[in-house]
Amino acid sequence: MMLEYVLVLSAYLLSIGIYGLITSRNMVRALMCLELILNAVNINFVTFSDLFDSRQLKGDVFSIFVIAIAAAEAAIGLAIVSSIHRNRKSTRINQSNLLNK
Amino acid sequence: MDLPGPIHDFLLVFGGLGLILGGLGVVLLTNPIFSAFSLGLVLVCTSLFHIPSNSPFVAAAQLLIYVGAINVLIVFAVMFINGSEYYKDFHLWTVGDGVTSLVCTSIFVSLITPILDTSWYGILWTTRSNQIIEQDLINNGQQIGIHLSTDFFLPFELISIILLVSLIGAIAMARQY
Repeated sequence: MMLEYVLVLSAYLLSIGIYGLITSRNMVRALMCLELILNAVNINFVTFSDLFDSRQLKGDVFSIFVIAIAAAEAAIGLAIVSSIHRNRKSTRINQSNLLNK
Repeated sequence: MDLPGPIHDFLLVFGGLGLILGGLGVVLLTNPIFSAFSLGLVLVCTSLFHIPSNSPFVAAAQLLIYVGAINVLIVFAVMFINGSEYYKDFHLWTVGDGVTSLVCTSIFVSLITPILDTSWYGILWTTRSNQIIEQDLINNGQQIGIHLSTDFFLPFELISIILLVSLIGAIAMARQY
């Protein structure tokens, strides 16, 4: 019962993260929605490693890796956003055409 | 971890409510600083979910890294970037939003139908009968440490190099002007 509950919540988090990633007009909010998707992945890793691999716990190691990758991604993404904001004074996704000229 | 029953249920219910409300708040709130704080709520509730599933080390790492580092970084970026442009961001419900919500709802439904149809406990008993039931001599953090230093040693080093390079790149990208 607990497994289905956690899996449904993780599917909810994944789908709402995809929705926000597609429809958000602010770049920082798109990064937040990316964090939501990575959190859904983390919940699945930890739950399955607890239930099906409780002796070895390799899913926990993978979730540690996912957390580290998310930290690197957040640092790079926010640096890019601040650089774009310095050049353009705007962080709207649909107005950024820096590669266009 | 053998938590008592009411604490276990409280963690699950509170974490579920926080996940649902915080996920809606990240997407639907118009001010980005509020959605950054509700992202913090989502991250805390995710770490609450890791506690009943026997992973206190991952829960602590989630709380420290996500809430303590990434969410603070996002809040600082919102405060740094967000001038007065958020209220010009009219939240029109366009056709693209409707199509996207339809697609995401169909993704959600098609994900939860196999979850609810699968008999997880049959799979659980067939896998658990193969494993030797042995005494827990080492705890969670020690086991993760053993894995990280023996058979996941090369990915661990690669992750640390990636983290170092990306942080140096972030600093170099943010300070040039």
